[in-house]
Amino acid sequence: MNHPDAWVIWIGVICTLAVYSILYRENPVFRFFEHVYIGLAAGYGIFTTVTQVLVPQWGIPLFKEGKWSWIFSMLIGVMFYFVYSKRHVWIARWAMALFIGTGAGLGIAGFVTEFVPQMKASIKPIWHAPWTLNTFSFNNLLMFITLITVMSYFFFSIEHKRPVLKGSAQTGRWLLMIAFGAIFGNTVMARVSLFIDRMQFLLFEWLKFHQPY
Amino acid sequence: MMQEKRKVFYIRRAIFLIMAIAVAIPLLVKISMPIIVSWPTRDLYEAVEKVPPDKIVVISNNWAAGTQGETAPQTAALIYHLAKRHKKFALWGWNSVQGPLLAQQIAEPIAQKFGLKYGVDWVNWGFKTGSDQMVRAWARDIPGTMKEDINHTPMSKLPFMKNVRDHKDIGLIVEITGSATVGTYIRFLYGIYRTPIGYGCTGVMVPEAFPYLDAGQLVGMMRGLVGAAEYEELAGYKDGKAGKRMAAQSFAHMLIIALIIVGNAGYFIARRRKNAHAEGGQP
Repeated sequence: MNHPDAWVIWIGVICTLAVYSILYRENPVFRFFEHVYIGLAAGYGIFTTVTQVLVPQWGIPLFKEGKWSWIFSMLIGVMFYFVYSKRHVWIARWAMALFIGTGAGLGIAGFVTEFVPQMKASIKPIWHAPWTLNTFSFNNLLMFITLITVMSYFFFSIEHKRPVLKGSAQTGRWLLMIAFGAIFGNTVMARVSLFIDRMQFLLFEWLKFHQPY
Repeated sequence: MMQEKRKVFYIRRAIFLIMAIAVAIPLLVKISMPIIVSWPTRDLYEAVEKVPPDKIVVISNNWAAGTQGETAPQTAALIYHLAKRHKKFALWGWNSVQGPLLAQQIAEPIAQKFGLKYGVDWVNWGFKTGSDQMVRAWARDIPGTMKEDINHTPMSKLPFMKNVRDHKDIGLIVEITGSATVGTYIRFLYGIYRTPIGYGCTGVMVPEAFPYLDAGQLVGMMRGLVGAAEYEELAGYKDGKAGKRMAAQSFAHMLIIALIIVGNAGYFIARRRKNAHAEGGQP
């Protein structure tokens, strides 16, 4: 990576330490930088929307290249603002209906290509011919048990009092807990990784410690 | 009561300080730890190796500075591998404006090291908004959707783009992200055209990615920082950042495990004492 200037490093250091100051206690420095970040993100978002979306993808085709049909996208966009008018709110509803319809259509198409293969992949043979130890899959058995028991935990039409359903739902609950533990473990790992990145920045780019690796 | 609150306050701060020390020591003192490569990372590496020379690899940088602790080393390791093998690659992003800019900073020195020429061997298409709809259009007509690269050079003036028209010219797409964006590629690239998709995600997102791997919708995956370290190991990337962070990561994990054990032991001891006290206090 390119080596940043000293002032860039100092800004990075001040921002990093200001954010980590929350670990001691809530303080005005943290709050100030929190607001700075939100302001920056909002400003940056508006800037990029104008420079990378509105101007090159809508303004230039419409006004420079003469693609007049782009005017309709503005009309649909303007229709959304009628949500503020009690009398003309129906105009905003048309625009919303269009977007919801598009979203639903894409969602259904996406469901088929994204989730159907996953459903298919969750039904795998536990044991198959020639019925030896090598053809037995413990992973597939575990997956089958997990699938059935977790689904039974979320089966609310019958009260979980009957022994079979109760046992299955309880097993499903335990398996869910294990899954949540794994997810939480990954979350911890991710947060530690981000902290290490900041620590490396502070130690080597700011304090200029010798890098042993 | 006040004293108890004060005690908790100081214990918490002490834990934060111990964590900082546990992370700093392995960074300052060389502690070598073996890196065992997991199958999802190996599969991704092998998928990159198999990309034919007439096809390009697309690195989709849907990550930002907030997750660069994990995603930047992943991007660097992948670019290093591609540059080392002289495989043509394109950078772009459609979920984060920062992604392609940060990836450019990573790619430039690596490309220079291996003598790759911008616009010929690699290119940065920059950021393009539009999500699902745009990706669908992009798959059918890459130059028509992108129009220009990150430096505003028209697609027609880039030698790289001479044989790049649509999804058929892509050998592999690797989505590096800190957000739930891989579904777009699964739905509209793999699902329709069977374009191979690789994945580099933050540690938080790893459990959600396994159904995609099991269903064969992803060819391989880098799992957070550890995935990047594994990929560096496979690609022989000695200057990579992830491998150097692994000792610190392991130390932090060991500390957390120790704290969980101590915390639970303390809880049960306190509960037993309370119960004993309550029983003893009964008439």
